[in-house]
Amino acid sequence: MLTAVNRIGANARYVWTCWKVNLASAMEYRLSFLLLAGMMFVNNFIWLFFWSLFFGRFPIVQGWELHDVMLLWAISAGGFGWAAMLFGNFPRIASIVATGQLDVYLSQPRPVLLSVLVSRCSVTAAGDFAFGVAVYLMVGDTSLTGALLFVLGLLISGLLFIAVMVIAGCSAFFIGNAEGMTQQLFNSFIALTTYPSDIFRGLAKLAIFTIVPAGFISYLPIGLLKSPEPGFAILATFVAFGLTLAGSLLFRLGLRKYASGNTIAMRS
Amino acid sequence: MMALRTRGLGKTFRVKKKEAGLSGSFRSLWKPQWETKEAVRGIDLNVREGETVAFLGPNGAGKSTTIKMLTGILHPSFGEAEVLGFTPWKEREQLAYRIGTVFGQKSQLWYHLPPIDTFELIGRIYELKRDEYARRKDDLIERFELGPYLHTPVRKLSLGERMRCEIAASLLHRPKLLFMDEPTIGLDAVVKQRIRELIRERNREEGTTVFLTSHDAGDVETLCSRAVVIHHGGVLIDEPVEKMKREVLSRKNVTLKLAEDAELVDLPELEGVAWEREKREIRLAVDLKRTTIERVLGELIGRIGFTDVNVEDPPLEEIIKYIYGMRMEKEETGWAKR
Repeated sequence: MLTAVNRIGANARYVWTCWKVNLASAMEYRLSFLLLAGMMFVNNFIWLFFWSLFFGRFPIVQGWELHDVMLLWAISAGGFGWAAMLFGNFPRIASIVATGQLDVYLSQPRPVLLSVLVSRCSVTAAGDFAFGVAVYLMVGDTSLTGALLFVLGLLISGLLFIAVMVIAGCSAFFIGNAEGMTQQLFNSFIALTTYPSDIFRGLAKLAIFTIVPAGFISYLPIGLLKSPEPGFAILATFVAFGLTLAGSLLFRLGLRKYASGNTIAMRS
Repeated sequence: MMALRTRGLGKTFRVKKKEAGLSGSFRSLWKPQWETKEAVRGIDLNVREGETVAFLGPNGAGKSTTIKMLTGILHPSFGEAEVLGFTPWKEREQLAYRIGTVFGQKSQLWYHLPPIDTFELIGRIYELKRDEYARRKDDLIERFELGPYLHTPVRKLSLGERMRCEIAASLLHRPKLLFMDEPTIGLDAVVKQRIRELIRERNREEGTTVFLTSHDAGDVETLCSRAVVIHHGGVLIDEPVEKMKREVLSRKNVTLKLAEDAELVDLPELEGVAWEREKREIRLAVDLKRTTIERVLGELIGRIGFTDVNVEDPPLEEIIKYIYGMRMEKEETGWAKR
């Protein structure tokens, strides 16, 4: 029916309209929007303040300094920020599947996972994104190369957040009520992405690269900023896109198992 | 031409079985037990283009599951289906361009935004050309009388207003086939009637095939020409609505409006007639197996003065109740199942 190019163009226009609608929806409560985003910005800075106290006492931990942790926060919060602003449903896949809220998306002629992801905008994430950019401007390399690497780092970090949560969320297709488990994973994932992966040893290190793969955030995008080599950049990008593709395929597979439900649902 | 065709379409779900209480929960945790529930049991259906079909049955009969399979939302466990020439679960996107869906309990409108914003998004979803979208939107706004609340956030609309917007949104892309799952649920009588008129109008003017589930007899009587009744996941009856009403239940409701000067006397004892009076109106339930309308009216003319008489079929709820009763009797007496 549509050629591949037309299809991509149509999906791009659809995604663009969804983002506009989401923003309009968020702006319905302007004060709440500004307060939530502002509070998140401040909240992140408080964490950095604690890290500064820590590094004041132990200036170097496993090769990491305060500067590196600040970069990690810039990448982690910034990556999470754009992902949650533009694809705000990624932490909620399990709940959407388990409560049968995919029906509306499935009845429309658009890719289901894309529709689900772009149908929500996290307001607080605007604060995370602004925080990430602000911290990078404070401590990062602001040359053109540095800025491009930061953008690539943000892209990889955001994709990792989306991919991991989509893969975890897909478990709801197969085991039913996976909301609690994925919520737990999400919380651990967010918390652990703000710790240097090098401080973990043995089983803990294995865990943060497997069960809760938060280690990838400090390994891939931060590795990219700390030692910018083309080979590593390609590998990091490949891993991020590969995981995203895996999430998308798993979701497709899961749709065959989708059981719907009778929850009364509204789009917000 | 067929709009929809199914052969042996069915769906089973695996459901966890748990005994009551906390100990049951622990047992279930340690040794879970599963049972297979057959939600839809091999349904055969044919719906021609332009038909208006009511898909009826009690709660849990498999109506919504069937609609979800026909719209590509659910994958069936067995059987086949073709909707407008497409296999719904394999060619979901192509089919979605040609069908409309209204789920009474699942909204496609953005809760915090006015309906006009959702209309705009739907225009993009279905890739409507801008001028075509504008014309269609204006037409639906006028017909559905949406003007006064088009720019009001959905959360502030009444249920009736929201439902009108919901149906208008599902018609924006001119679907050939409209699936509706309980479209009038929770609405008052006036709004229900208006919504039925609007859907009937679309069917008449654009030839839209309508396939709806409802618990409301009025939806079926006003909108549909054919009724398919399912029970326990299988088709129980598939007949024109009029025929079903005429043949399945041999009863008529007769309403007499008494003249202003008529005496409020009691009615004579008539075989096969039960009656009740409310102010200056007498309602009779006439059993046509035991008597005829002609005989009953003949007996009454001259005895009481009335200015108007109305003979009606009984409401569909009663008919469906009767069909279920009949089925149970057949099962108990070992009659062949339909």
